[in-house]
Amino acid sequence: MASREQMPTRARSRSRGRARGQDPVAPGTLAREPAPEVAVKEEGGLVGRGRQKQSLAPFSGKAVMEISAGFQQVKIGERGGRRGDFHDVGINTRQTMEHVKASKSGTSGAALQLSANFFRIVSRPQWVLYQYHVDFNPPMESRRLRSALLFQHVQVLGSAHCFDGAILFMPQRLHDKATELQSKTKNGEDVRITVILTNELPPTSPVCLQFYNIIFRRILRILGMQQIGRNYYNAKDPLNIPQHRLTIWPGYTSAILQFESSIMLCTDVSHKVLRSETVLNFMENLRQKCGPHNFSDICAKELVGLIILTKYNNKTYRIDDIAWDQTPSNTFKRGEADVSFTDYYKNQYGLEIADRNQVLLVSHVKRVAQGQTPAGPALLIPELCYLTGLTDKMRADYTIMKDLSMHTKLAPEQRVGRLLRFSAAINKDTEAQAELQKWGLQFDKELLNLTGRVLPPERIFQQSRSYGYNPRTAEWAKEMRGLPVIYSPPLQNWLLLYTRRNSREAQSLLETLYKVAAPLGISLQKAQVIEYEDQQESLLRALQHNVRTETQMVVVVLTSNRKDKYDGVKKYLCVACPTPSQCVVARTISRPQALMTIATKIVLQMACKIGGELWSVEIPLKQLMIVGIDCYHDTAAGKRSIGALVASLNQNMSRWYSKVKLQTRGQEIMDGLKMAFAGALKDYYKFNKCFPSRIVVYRDGVGDGQLHNVVNYEVAQIMDSVKSMGEEYMPKLSMVVVKKRINCRLFEHSSGKVLNPPPGTVVDTGVTRPEWYDFYIVSQAVNFGSVSPTHYNVVYDTSGLKPDHMQRLTYKLCHMYYNWQGIIAVPAPCQYAHKLAFLVGQSLHREPNMELDDLLFYL
Amino acid sequence: MNPIFKPSLHSQRHDFVVDFVRKNNPKKVVDLGCAECSLLQKLRFHRHVELLVGVDINGAKLSKKKHGLAPILTDYLQPPLHQLCVQLFQGSVTQKDARFRGFDLVTSIELIEHLPLDDLYQFSEVVFGYMAPQTVIITTPNSEFNRLFPGMSGFRHCDHKFEWTRVEFQSWSRNVCLEFGYNAEFTGVGQAPQGHEESIGFCTQIGVFHRLPVNRDGHMLADNAEDHFPYTLLYSVTYPSLRDHNILRKTLVSELLYWAEKMKNDWLESLTGKQEEERPVEEDKREAGVYGEICWTNSQELQCHTLHRHVSVPLHLLWNYCPKLQELSGSLGNLSQLIMDDPQIKMNRPRSALIFCILEQDLRDEVPNDLMDSGYAESSHVEEEHWETD
Repeated sequence: MASREQMPTRARSRSRGRARGQDPVAPGTLAREPAPEVAVKEEGGLVGRGRQKQSLAPFSGKAVMEISAGFQQVKIGERGGRRGDFHDVGINTRQTMEHVKASKSGTSGAALQLSANFFRIVSRPQWVLYQYHVDFNPPMESRRLRSALLFQHVQVLGSAHCFDGAILFMPQRLHDKATELQSKTKNGEDVRITVILTNELPPTSPVCLQFYNIIFRRILRILGMQQIGRNYYNAKDPLNIPQHRLTIWPGYTSAILQFESSIMLCTDVSHKVLRSETVLNFMENLRQKCGPHNFSDICAKELVGLIILTKYNNKTYRIDDIAWDQTPSNTFKRGEADVSFTDYYKNQYGLEIADRNQVLLVSHVKRVAQGQTPAGPALLIPELCYLTGLTDKMRADYTIMKDLSMHTKLAPEQRVGRLLRFSAAINKDTEAQAELQKWGLQFDKELLNLTGRVLPPERIFQQSRSYGYNPRTAEWAKEMRGLPVIYSPPLQNWLLLYTRRNSREAQSLLETLYKVAAPLGISLQKAQVIEYEDQQESLLRALQHNVRTETQMVVVVLTSNRKDKYDGVKKYLCVACPTPSQCVVARTISRPQALMTIATKIVLQMACKIGGELWSVEIPLKQLMIVGIDCYHDTAAGKRSIGALVASLNQNMSRWYSKVKLQTRGQEIMDGLKMAFAGALKDYYKFNKCFPSRIVVYRDGVGDGQLHNVVNYEVAQIMDSVKSMGEEYMPKLSMVVVKKRINCRLFEHSSGKVLNPPPGTVVDTGVTRPEWYDFYIVSQAVNFGSVSPTHYNVVYDTSGLKPDHMQRLTYKLCHMYYNWQGIIAVPAPCQYAHKLAFLVGQSLHREPNMELDDLLFYL
Repeated sequence: MNPIFKPSLHSQRHDFVVDFVRKNNPKKVVDLGCAECSLLQKLRFHRHVELLVGVDINGAKLSKKKHGLAPILTDYLQPPLHQLCVQLFQGSVTQKDARFRGFDLVTSIELIEHLPLDDLYQFSEVVFGYMAPQTVIITTPNSEFNRLFPGMSGFRHCDHKFEWTRVEFQSWSRNVCLEFGYNAEFTGVGQAPQGHEESIGFCTQIGVFHRLPVNRDGHMLADNAEDHFPYTLLYSVTYPSLRDHNILRKTLVSELLYWAEKMKNDWLESLTGKQEEERPVEEDKREAGVYGEICWTNSQELQCHTLHRHVSVPLHLLWNYCPKLQELSGSLGNLSQLIMDDPQIKMNRPRSALIFCILEQDLRDEVPNDLMDSGYAESSHVEEEHWETD
């Protein structure tokens, strides 16, 4: 791309969308899969959560108690089960919004036949799951023993059962409400077992849904797949990428939930990336590359947070620390005796540890079996461990990512093929079928068909001119050529910094910039050119000497995309000496044939950084303020979170107020942003001489399982903020949770071919959730692979806007991101907030200077 | 139970077997009455075992436990040299199954005391007479030890049909040895408290039976009449190993490409100091140093853009440079043979060097998109809309 600041696709930080306060783990799955979480919440079951608000509780308190208790038991009973609620089940927001109770469907656009990666679950009619309570007399302590005693009566109970020691689930009803059974322990002791029916659960009950997921994971295991993190993978059929020592295991994400039309399995292709070398190899290579000086720092930075697999079991561990003072010769207590790691692994697993001097890895094992005390940190031997997932450094490596995407990006046709093959595999496997039949369940063999709508393309306005764009490619770089932008402050006082080595490139860049600026209506005076020595300090000195208060813009030609120099420039010009700046890597401008395109992008970027307005779309709502919120979790700097808020200041959606809040771990994002929200309202007032009568908040960066927090807490915080402007001020407020990393995929079927749905495709039936006011939009076009729709969940809405208008407004806003002459996957404010949070999290590590608040300086 | 053993008696019995396996390196091992498969879990880590079989009468239990015996995932990342196949059968030890002959070691841990005496005789006939492995390890409770358990009467487990004293076990063993041509040593695990070692013995008594090197033709012939397969195979898994030709080839190709890529990149790096125009194109041009024989080549089809260039990395250079390749393939000829026809590898015509296509890096940047004008500009029109509801 033209410069490092012009990435049109979002280089998302890996820790995005992770529950606050939880440790980031296991990046590396490439299909849009949320990072798995090891940190498991030991809360009272999912139904309890998100229901704290009475008004939202769909069940009576007692029912919740009962279901939660039973549910918790189920979860404990099944090993490898996820205990967190990743699907935000039980948060029923739609019923609080009168205007969408009957229908949440839009009307605009032409109908389009689609299919989606969902398979319906077919169970026989009147299917119920029976829940029993099991009592032992005399009481038996060991769960295992209880289970053994109970299943001496398989002929009575049948082969389909799930028992956790107290609660038994079965697909059939026992003859009597209470059944008495007699068992004998191995010591000949008689035990009376009483099995009492306590509940009949319909297929849609939360317990049942969780139950389906458990059964489905059994099926995946039967198919020979292995669980890593949240998903299942097939290790037997690996793809190797030898040049990077990477292996990809193909697998699937799966979730069974109640969707709008029925209970369905949503499944997508997922890829797990693993390193085909041990952690020790990895560390040795790293040491070779970076030298012994700050090896320990760099090593810890690279490794901590990654998930490893060991050579002796199929468990995963998260690296929490490195024990620099431990080696395999150290001993640990095993029973009575002290055993060295070397001996232990040799005797137990026949594994010889070759390197006696390697340091050990530390993992704080969090999940503890019921009734056991935590075992303390586990020490692991790097030689016996393999890394899963990608490191941040690998993620930033263009070549690695390109080579990976060759294997992992699947065109729609391929993706559908894989999904159907998966479905066929389940249907063909006799053992899997037997397991399903035991429970009276069956999956549909075909993908779900549904109808979407394609919204009409927007017209783009620049001053008095307007134009359309090709609806399939969804960009207008060519149309824009030679058309003056809406407004650009004349650039009279600006600097260009470069090194001697790049003086030729800098010169031609300058000439091209002058050439392209005029037709775009951007007035560009001669720049002051400054040569700097290619060193961090000398670059900084050059800035200190030359940047003055009247300097409008600083353009820096960097010799390489080394991060430290970029960070240095940004730190100085965003915090100490507030001036909009533009960095560009010399190599980007070294090819004459691409220079025109790149210079155009740069000049547009420069214009909007100093307050220019490029284009607009028609938005038929007056006194509207759009807000975008996103957050970034800074893993390096003590696990701080960064919350960023941007808010529109004018009707054209071309000027934006912005604010960033840094907060320590465990603090609510919204606590900091409450002030920022008030600041936005005041700034809006300054621009418009009135407060907005409508506010639409697009909230991005909500992790799986955090929705309840947005609903219960953040909305209230925003209301508080609004109220602080004056008691009589009552704007209409909408809050939309935006999710880009989802497992839903949509496919267009056209004359026998499977295609990506065109930009503007909206789906608000079938695969949405009945308890939410939600919809999907495919707004962007992709050149490779399958497009991923973005999910919008309106969790609060007093705007009275029709669903159709809410959808169209959202789509219009996807046109308004000034760093890309085309439609992007999320509304512009989300992308702006993301860019801002990313800049602060990656480079600044502190709040930008408030003089920049009204500028898009972070583009 | 008192006294309590540490580590538990259960794992001491298993450790005894594991120890035996480590010292004697049997290749084919079967555990009769494997129940929870925990002994198999331990034995699968011992590299000499190539076939590991478990038998139990309780098929449901095996089905439940079988996934625990799946290969270690990381073995797929770096496949080991040794091979292992794990199988689980549902069946009764009183029946003869032809698949169970020719084992090196048969273990029967705390099994015989669950058999009625009639079955016990069948058991010895099946194990010693029919399966006739090199070694049999049998463990069973020592009833003399029971008086150390306070308040205990009867047997240690309600399903036990008998519990033997040392004399009883040893005399049964001697009969078995005489009949089937074995000799036995006796030992145990679970030491009695001090002073009682002699008078009571171990809590668990163990007999290790070795087959005598006599000619057993008579036996073999008698049973060879017909092969029966009464056991049901419930689970069978082959662990990834370099002995598998496909796995070996994949591993080799990965290793080869890794090093070739590395050498190529190092070589390209070393070139960057030079002027672009002077890059040698002739194949015989030699560079000094390790990478001396890496060179640009135009011998490959140049059907793409001119910006595609090809680098040739000689196979023998890689062979010398990377010991892992030598280890994996044994000889250069082997290596060349093994990687033949692999779609990931491109070689020159004499098959002496790997060819890489270098895409000039800058090309990856976007090329200005030529949009097709398709009349869309007219397709959308602006229409005054009113979204406000009030």
